Amino acid sequence: MWAQIINAILGIWLMASPAILGFENIAADNDHVVGPIIASFAVISWWEATRVVRLYNIPLGAWLLLAPWVLGYDSTTPVLNDMLVGAVVIGLSFVKGKVTETYGGGWSAIWKSDSLHAQEARKQPRV
Amino acid sequence: MSEKEGIPPGWSYNPASWGQRLPIVGLAIIGFGIATYMALFQLKVFDTVWEPFFGNDSRKILTSSVSKILPIPDAALGAIGYLADAITGAVGGTRRWRTMPWIVIMFGLAVGPLGFISILLVILQPVMFDAWCTLCLCSAAISVIMIGPAMDEFMASMQYMKRAKDARVSLWKAFWGYKEVQGKVI
Repeated sequence: MWAQIINAILGIWLMASPAILGFENIAADNDHVVGPIIASFAVISWWEATRVVRLYNIPLGAWLLLAPWVLGYDSTTPVLNDMLVGAVVIGLSFVKGKVTETYGGGWSAIWKSDSLHAQEARKQPRV
Repeated sequence: MSEKEGIPPGWSYNPASWGQRLPIVGLAIIGFGIATYMALFQLKVFDTVWEPFFGNDSRKILTSSVSKILPIPDAALGAIGYLADAITGAVGGTRRWRTMPWIVIMFGLAVGPLGFISILLVILQPVMFDAWCTLCLCSAAISVIMIGPAMDEFMASMQYMKRAKDARVSLWKAFWGYKEVQGKVI
């Protein structure tokens, strides 16, 4: 979970960095758009049942690596900022952390047959 | 009825217990309060809006073109969303993931879009209006924090629906929690 706390902070940092580091235009817009999304996915994955959502930040981190070149940033500071944050976000998104509870087989058990919850339900007496 | 009976099969805890649900309901009520306050400003009941950090920005955001897209102020819509979250979070006992899947699934569906719209509005603030609104950010943070803890119960209900489907029980009856279904599916 610590990894997703850092990713949430990085997302908020992206929201604030145009004002703090002093850059504007397309680079600022990009950070203002991507920052809240990264922070939200990171916060949602603080909980074990939705820990998988952390993986959605991998494409967003990859976009941060590409954005300076695709969008053509006009100064160095936002280029460095985006690439650094992007790389760290990708790395930390892979950190699953501890999952201590069991969830009847998880999300895929909603459509897969004979998963943990179905097996356990068969063992229980009917009420 | 022992506490253990509320635990879904294959789970280590009961996601519908009050300890799990009350914090979410509490957050929804706080969100409702914030959104109602902002809506009252938008409806001109209050002349000023509380803004500790960003000067006149809150006024700019809350009176912006986006906030007037709908027939009612956007904060009023947020307040309705939070109220729906609080109600669908509070209704039902600790086995409601199987006794009333409809309310749990509605709860999950209410929490999701509210969070999504909040994030969208947070993006629009700096991009379209070059301004930040402290209370809007607080409201968005609350609605995002609510998503994770609400989803485990939603998952338990969806797994229950899958078991009902496998048992060839009417999904309609399982969804609305008919008594006859509860004897056949656990």
